[in-house]
Amino acid sequence: MLKLLHTADWQIGKLYGQFEPDDAALLAEARFAAVERLAQLASVQGVHMVLVAGDVFDAQGVAERTIHRLFNCLCGYAGPWVMIPGNHDAALSESVWTRAARLGAIPPNVSVCLAPGAVQFDALRVAVLAAPLTQRITHSDLTSAFAAIDTPAGFHRIGLAHGSVQGILADGIDSSNPIAAGRAAEARLDYLALGDWHGCRQIDARTWYSGTPETDRFRANDSGRALIVELASPGAEPVVTPVVTGQYRWFDESATLQVASDIDVLLARLATFGHADVVQITLDGETDLAGHARLRDALAQTQGRVRSLTVDLSALRIAPTEDDIDALAADGYLGDVIAELRALQGDSDGDRAGTAEAARDALVLLAGLLRDRRAASGNTS
Amino acid sequence: MKLTRIRIEQFRQFRQPLQIGELNPGLNLFTGPNEAGKSTVVAAIRAAFFERHRSGSVDDLRPWGDASASPTVELEFETGGVVYRLGKSFLVRKRCTLTSGTQQFDGADAEDRLAELLGFRHAGRGASAAEHWGIPGLLWIQQGTAHDIREPVAHATDHLRTALNASLGEVASSGGDAVTDQVEALRNELLTPANATPRGSYKEAIETEADLAAEIAALDADIAAYRNKVDRLATLRREHEADDAQKPWLALRAQEQAARRKFDEAQALGARLGEAKQRARRIGDTLVLLHSQLERYGLEQREVEQRRTALIAAEGRLTEVQATVQPWQRRSTEAATRHDGARHTLNRARQRDTRLTLSRQLDELSRRRDAARTSLLQAETEAGRLRSARQQMAATELRSADLATLRAQQQDIRALRLRQEAAATRLHFTLDDGRVIRIGEESLTGDGERLLTDATAVTLPGLGRLDITPGGADLADLGRQEAALLDRHAALLARLGVESLDAAEARLHLCFQHQSDAQTAEAALKARAPQGVDALRGELAMLEGRLTEAAQSLARLAGEPDDDLALPSINEAESQEEAARASAADAAKQLAAADIAAANAQSAVDAARRELCGAQAILDAPERAARLAAAQRALNEALAGQVAANADIEALTAQCRDARPDILEQDIRRFGGSADQLERASSLRRDELTRLEVELQTAGAQGLDERRAERARDHARAVRRTTELRRRASALDHLLTLLKSHRSALTRRLQAPLQKHLDRYLQLLFPYANLDIDDQLVPGAMTRTGTTGAESGRFEEFSFGAREQMGVISRLAYADLLREAGRPTLIILDDALVHSDDERLARMKRVLFDAATRHQILLFSCHPESWRDMGVAARSLEALKAA
Repeated sequence: MLKLLHTADWQIGKLYGQFEPDDAALLAEARFAAVERLAQLASVQGVHMVLVAGDVFDAQGVAERTIHRLFNCLCGYAGPWVMIPGNHDAALSESVWTRAARLGAIPPNVSVCLAPGAVQFDALRVAVLAAPLTQRITHSDLTSAFAAIDTPAGFHRIGLAHGSVQGILADGIDSSNPIAAGRAAEARLDYLALGDWHGCRQIDARTWYSGTPETDRFRANDSGRALIVELASPGAEPVVTPVVTGQYRWFDESATLQVASDIDVLLARLATFGHADVVQITLDGETDLAGHARLRDALAQTQGRVRSLTVDLSALRIAPTEDDIDALAADGYLGDVIAELRALQGDSDGDRAGTAEAARDALVLLAGLLRDRRAASGNTS
Repeated sequence: MKLTRIRIEQFRQFRQPLQIGELNPGLNLFTGPNEAGKSTVVAAIRAAFFERHRSGSVDDLRPWGDASASPTVELEFETGGVVYRLGKSFLVRKRCTLTSGTQQFDGADAEDRLAELLGFRHAGRGASAAEHWGIPGLLWIQQGTAHDIREPVAHATDHLRTALNASLGEVASSGGDAVTDQVEALRNELLTPANATPRGSYKEAIETEADLAAEIAALDADIAAYRNKVDRLATLRREHEADDAQKPWLALRAQEQAARRKFDEAQALGARLGEAKQRARRIGDTLVLLHSQLERYGLEQREVEQRRTALIAAEGRLTEVQATVQPWQRRSTEAATRHDGARHTLNRARQRDTRLTLSRQLDELSRRRDAARTSLLQAETEAGRLRSARQQMAATELRSADLATLRAQQQDIRALRLRQEAAATRLHFTLDDGRVIRIGEESLTGDGERLLTDATAVTLPGLGRLDITPGGADLADLGRQEAALLDRHAALLARLGVESLDAAEARLHLCFQHQSDAQTAEAALKARAPQGVDALRGELAMLEGRLTEAAQSLARLAGEPDDDLALPSINEAESQEEAARASAADAAKQLAAADIAAANAQSAVDAARRELCGAQAILDAPERAARLAAAQRALNEALAGQVAANADIEALTAQCRDARPDILEQDIRRFGGSADQLERASSLRRDELTRLEVELQTAGAQGLDERRAERARDHARAVRRTTELRRRASALDHLLTLLKSHRSALTRRLQAPLQKHLDRYLQLLFPYANLDIDDQLVPGAMTRTGTTGAESGRFEEFSFGAREQMGVISRLAYADLLREAGRPTLIILDDALVHSDDERLARMKRVLFDAATRHQILLFSCHPESWRDMGVAARSLEALKAA
């Protein structure tokens, strides 16, 4: 029986600009840790070979140190690693791979397929048919050559490619680098290991995307996995088992606040997030000043707890109640100002959108100032 | 607020303390002429409130010229039921204390309390200015400023609003201004107050964002360049591999070789053509030689004939010439004979002439010799005479300069004697008979006189001796001079060898006589022998010599021939001889010419004969005929060769033209160049490949993409921060605008109560008039009913007097408003209302009196008579000073 570990899209060198630097650094670090876990997993599972289906690096121009670190992360598994370049790290005339080779960073047990063709592992009776990307973008199907490649009888034929399977994935997502559907059957492959799609996904009985081992975006479903592929014999249908390898969970939340209890629901949801969560929240609707203050406090607490929290309140309106204004002791013309701001933030369309946003911000600011003043005077009295 | 006591010391004109006590709660009238110190009192009150006691800008408060003064003001006042005591000293002794009830405040603390109480603020630096004065600035009217109401109100607005909050009740906000200030401060951290441009952290964030964007753009450019190089590398590698596989330059090299071979063949054709031409040229040369050879043989033949003809002609000429020689020989002999005869005759004629000449010379020489002898004798006599005279002259010679010296010495001696006598002691004696005295060694009797020039002893026998020393001081000196002169005189005489001056004079005379004799003798000698005696003697000898010679010459001539008389004259003989000689010479010359002509003709004949023989010998040479035949044969052969060579040349030229070696040469260049080009391109490509590989390795080591990702991360963060700050700034700006507009709306709500108080005073001043209060809380338009109906005008358009009056009533209205709000009010009028006419002033007095029922008013005036009807006693400042 042949046992393989299928992974892809490591995207080493990715930096996460949308987060605060501390968070981003940890998330970038997590990608190396994921590779280390993969090596560990390969050892523990006793696989015969690890297949990496492209986009090992996020860019060609990564730092030397990054190259060395990545290959050092592989040391947890001494068996063969077979890698192909993807669209992010294509095998150009000068590429991250030629640099890695020049640096002497690639360990001997790692086979990097920079040219299309078969790599044979006689002891394992395995032939890996690799379709590496040698240009940044190709519009032809590189796997179309697989069928014509002969392999010794009794050898497993394993395909390794990077691109998007035609007619299955949504248009516009890496639609270049096409791969014809049904390639595995057509090319008599026992298994076709694919990369490019960051979520884990089965295409047909013999064709899978493993997805990235560590989630790197909010919209990647079922990412943070690797696949254990078991083949009883050449020609037998593979048994594929997804294994969770990701450290961080990514959540993209949104909520509409209408009544006071909506805040309670949202706060309860916020309380569920832990330290390994990367959260993005978009809120709209309306809340009073007290609710806004509670929300603000809860968001601050969550911020301190989770790996990263990004909040978009631009669509949330503040509606101070009479109680709010009384509580702020906003007498005299301050009260008039609050009333005007409250009215102004209602204009959310067209040219007045800027004014509405400014009015909402101004209202929050003014409320904050007044609350602080009250707190201060309350302390002194 | 009620002032109860004022005390001023060391303050401007009040060097001595001035105390004003017992101030009324209502109107207080202070009078005094100009310079009495009214304004100084006002200044003291203002300084006590407005100026910081620590201020360095209050030098004007000290008495003039008193640098050690500490201007001091003490005030007591009561407000809100509390009594305050303020003491303030400036400059040298800086001090400020404020006592209110049992509390005491010092320094800046006290000043801040005062500012809060009255509603003004202190200057940050320097002296207090109008914008700091707040409410007091409005109520304390300085000299000549009552008409100006807008500015003081503007400076007081904030304080007014704060002060009036209470009276306005719910319309005012308890914390509104503080919040507004806070919002403004927060806004101004991010935006400049003036034109709302970003500043501080907001500006920094924007700059950081821009910097990062620029860095990213630079990195993007680098990455693009890098990618282009990678693509270029791929292209180059592909081309390089194709080159390596195909080696396209090899085919071109082969074509080049082929072209070169063809070219070489064409070159060989050219060489053969050259050879053919060479051959034709050689044959041509041979033909020329042969032609000239044959021509020479023809010439030799013609030469023999010419020589023969020339010999015959020469022989004819010889015969002619020989015929002329014979007659010339005969004629020549005859002429020579005639010439000999003529020459002999000439010789004899010449001898005869010589003899005659010599005889005449002898006679002449004899005569001259005799004359010379006579002259010599006379000259010798004269010479002897001259010698004798000169000898005598030499013996008596005396220089006339010496004689003059002698004469001068004689003169001096005489003069000295006379001076001695004049200076000497004259001793006149008359002795009795028989008496003898001795002067020196001389014994004297009778009478007489002596001149004593030296110390002289006069011995008076029997009586003793008189030693007389002459008194003249220079007597001895004169004596010495005389002695010296006498010595010199004697020496000169001795040298000249004369006894005395007279002898010298006589000798000089003698000398002159001898000199005259000598001159006479010399003249005579000169006449006899101008060249000297020796010359005469020489001439005589010469003459005698010549005489002897002439005699000898005559003797040598042979005795006289007999036929002398038959001889022709010498001239005739000479011309005959000349003619004969010329004739003989001519004949000889003709004969010689004939001989030469004959000899020449002979030699010409000989030469012609020799030349004929020579030419004939050449013709007769044995091998000549064979050589002539050979030359003819060779000529025929050469002509045939020439035709063959020309045919060759023509054929080869045509071949060369068809081969086109110039085009072949171009082909070689073209193919060779192309091959070079391709090889070079390949080589360059290899170099570029190497260079690109190195460049890409270097660039790759920089990790450009990762760096760009880092910058992009930082940039995203900067954008977030900028956005946050922009929103915050915009919100703050918006909030501030709203707060300010609401606050100014509130201000406008203060107008109503103010209007109420203003109307009260206005009715006293202008019954049935209306005065509006504008946004800025100052009087605006006024409408009143006059004789011509209702008229309306703006405050600024009124007369100065009217503006002054309305300025005062506006201030009083403000005071009422403040009083209602429980704020302290004190009104000070320094020489106000001086521009009001009597009627208006009367009305204003009613207004002021009414106001004084609610406020304390301090009124300072230099016109006490104008204010007599105010119901209070005027207090004279002069009286106060005197107190």
